[in-house]
Amino acid sequence: MSGRLATILSVLCLAAAAAIGISLMLGSVPVSPVDVGTVLTGGGDPLHQALVLELRLPRTLAAFATGGLLAVAGALMQVLLRNPLADPYVLGISGGAAVGALLSMLAGLATAVVSGAAFAGALLSTLLVFGLAHGTGSWTPVRLLLTGVVVAAGWGALISFILAVAPGAELPGMLYWLMGDLSHARHPGPAWIVLAIVVLLAWPLGRSLNVLARGALQAAALGVSVRPLEWIVYLLAAVLTATAVTLAGTVGFVGLIVPHMLRLVLGNDQRIILPAAALAGGILLTLADTLSRTVIAPQQLPVGVITALLGVPVFLYLLHRSR
Amino acid sequence: MSLVRFVSTRPGPWLWLLSLLAGSAVLAGGGAAVQAEIRVTDDSHREVRLAEPAHRIVSLSPHLTELLFEVGAGDRIVGTVSFSDHPEAARQIPRVGNAGQLDLERILALQPDLVVAWRSGNPARQVARLEALGLTVYYNEPRRLSDLADTLERLAVLTGSSETGAAQAAQLRERSRKLATRYAHRPAVPLFYQIWDDPLMTVNDQHLIGELIALCGGKNLFGELPALVPRLSREAVLAADPEVIVGGGSGEDNRAWVDGWRRWSGLTAVRRDNLFFIPPSLIQRQTPRILDGAEMLCEYLDEARARRPETAP
Amino acid sequence: MSEPLLQLEDLVIHIPGRPDGSALRFEVRSGQCWGILGPNGAGKTTLLHTLAGLRAPRSGGVRLNGRKLGGIPRRDVARQTALVFQDHHDGFPATVLETALIGRHPYLRPWDVESADDMAMARAALQQVDLAGLESRLVGTLSGGERQRLAIATALTQDPRLFLLDEPVSHLDLHHQVAVLEIVRKRVSKGCAAVMSLHDVNIAARHCDHVLLLYQDGGARWGPVNEMLQLQVLERLYAQPLVQGEAGGAPVFVPKG
Repeated sequence: MSGRLATILSVLCLAAAAAIGISLMLGSVPVSPVDVGTVLTGGGDPLHQALVLELRLPRTLAAFATGGLLAVAGALMQVLLRNPLADPYVLGISGGAAVGALLSMLAGLATAVVSGAAFAGALLSTLLVFGLAHGTGSWTPVRLLLTGVVVAAGWGALISFILAVAPGAELPGMLYWLMGDLSHARHPGPAWIVLAIVVLLAWPLGRSLNVLARGALQAAALGVSVRPLEWIVYLLAAVLTATAVTLAGTVGFVGLIVPHMLRLVLGNDQRIILPAAALAGGILLTLADTLSRTVIAPQQLPVGVITALLGVPVFLYLLHRSR
Repeated sequence: MSLVRFVSTRPGPWLWLLSLLAGSAVLAGGGAAVQAEIRVTDDSHREVRLAEPAHRIVSLSPHLTELLFEVGAGDRIVGTVSFSDHPEAARQIPRVGNAGQLDLERILALQPDLVVAWRSGNPARQVARLEALGLTVYYNEPRRLSDLADTLERLAVLTGSSETGAAQAAQLRERSRKLATRYAHRPAVPLFYQIWDDPLMTVNDQHLIGELIALCGGKNLFGELPALVPRLSREAVLAADPEVIVGGGSGEDNRAWVDGWRRWSGLTAVRRDNLFFIPPSLIQRQTPRILDGAEMLCEYLDEARARRPETAP
Repeated sequence: MSEPLLQLEDLVIHIPGRPDGSALRFEVRSGQCWGILGPNGAGKTTLLHTLAGLRAPRSGGVRLNGRKLGGIPRRDVARQTALVFQDHHDGFPATVLETALIGRHPYLRPWDVESADDMAMARAALQQVDLAGLESRLVGTLSGGERQRLAIATALTQDPRLFLLDEPVSHLDLHHQVAVLEIVRKRVSKGCAAVMSLHDVNIAARHCDHVLLLYQDGGARWGPVNEMLQLQVLERLYAQPLVQGEAGGAPVFVPKG
């Protein structure tokens, strides 16, 4: 398995480097590969430096991290809930983040506060869902899922309310935030660190997750301490999602589709799926973001539109090809 | 990394050199080099400084593009946003996105020495980003007719055509003063101003259109609402029973929104046929053309006054 | 006499909404094969899950190798006890070989990867249950009987001292019934023990040395197979008149009517 993992990760790392390179080259103003290289090694003219280092690099790195975070969170949620339809947002984490972000936008607060409020909202929602799902008895995936879906609906109502009372000038920013917007992501560093740490923490849990995917009882019979494992997985997925949402708003689709694509191609060993999802999610979102800011430039498309347009046909093809 | 080399936001080393060369003037008269610098306060109450009149301007709103043309600086606009369609020459200017979503790369590549931004219409974070990248930004936020005149003057200063700007501003003030003397004190006409249909939206008294309504002697029935652009239910309009309904449309010649009120035959405005249409580009854009729209509005309100029954108090 | 593997100490299983049943007090020793007989809903599955430590008892306790079951880490329990479930859930797609391999889970540390020995054990287990050659098939494409045999193979890969089997032969054709029971018999003869719930009295009569009878009302009786499998006892157990015969030296019971 180690050999297979190494091969898969090597291929994905090369693809990731290529995707990042393409993203740095393409934009409203074309910059040749040679110029990108010059700028990255510290040279080049000021305009190219500004374009590549100030505008494209932070955005590209943010897109990659967001995609990776969401794909890993989605893979974890699907195993946790034993439900292939689960995505990182299914338990209302994004709704809580959105309410936090929109409220701070409504109050006209600074960008950093908006991010902080989004993160706080995500964590609040996480704790709320977990506390409520626990209730007076034990929680099961179905109970957790139902609680999450209902809490998400509550957040949805609050979001609609905020949009309804928000002044017109704030609306476009809010809508772009809700659709996922990478254009404001300037400091992707923390997101990369979170992604790296969580993948490293989750990898040793991979085999236990493989067992958990077969059901809680089966897992317990095979020596897995199910409850602590589920807590850890839920917490990890929540941190991943909260980080992604804080960085880029609610980018849809990546968290649902990337784990499934990988399962169709690579099988369902979480020890392979989790690191592969970090890379493949990053690649998909980097390419999608590149397209979203170039296809109808100078206008920009929400990146979620492109992830869906890219992901749906690929996914359907893989599904059709599989047995 | 900064763009100081080609965009100057503050006196760079070379300006010091200039000061040294003009050293005697500095010592004698308090600063020739300082005189060469252009200083203007924008609507965010910040001082915008240029070493020389702007030659490469990026305008981030259709109304700002129009205002720049008014003060004779239209040919210096190197980039603007979608819907910049007036005057005709504005259509030829390269686009850098739309007001709500800017293409920072294009703006940067144009290497402008001045960016004029619309504070409530552009994404604050994107404009802040442009500033962080070293560009000089002038923030505009016209709320009153007097702001419009001020803006004309300031844009003229920034582009080195103060005389044209002063004349334009004076003309604008004069026109609005004339309208006010003629109409503002005529019998008040209770009206509802519709700027969007679904959802139904109006303006309050703080809005520029609100000021025009007052100028023409109208009384905005929803002027006291706190939001600048309140959203309403149709029922609220029916309950208020305006004497006049004025509205724009989804196009320059589309009366559908105002005519839609005819199904409520009990409304005073419908019974007296006081449903008036004003092309949105005339009144919903903060440029001197807004006074053309204001003249139309004033005449409509006069028509409505003429249609009042003889017995009315 | 051999050491007790499993000790039931006045164990009362917990079935929500049902009054306490009889307290169970017996020992399962290595080399023994126990059958659990009883009508539907008597608590056979609940008992097996309780013996595996997956459910808490209402009262009493269970000892595994002399230690209280609740105090043993789950991983250690799983090295000594394998439970074959009656139902199999298809979660995410997995291959036959992967499924057999998860039996090695209790033996591997978090960072370990399955070794060649682990693979060999899984393949050998698949060979024993007649699934060799299907290693790369997806589990979802197997028949009910093949799924059942795969579950047995996973338990064999787990290499426990104690096998807990919930209706191990219910989906199997006659040939594979005999084959699976033969595999269990071999493991038991090598020092393991087995406890299996069965709906077929005749299988218990032929393959078990001890039986536990669970009654609908919560009552229970247990003992050596020849003492327990009496016509009147079984008629009361199943509330069904039976006819007793004999085949190949073992008693055979069939419903009357």
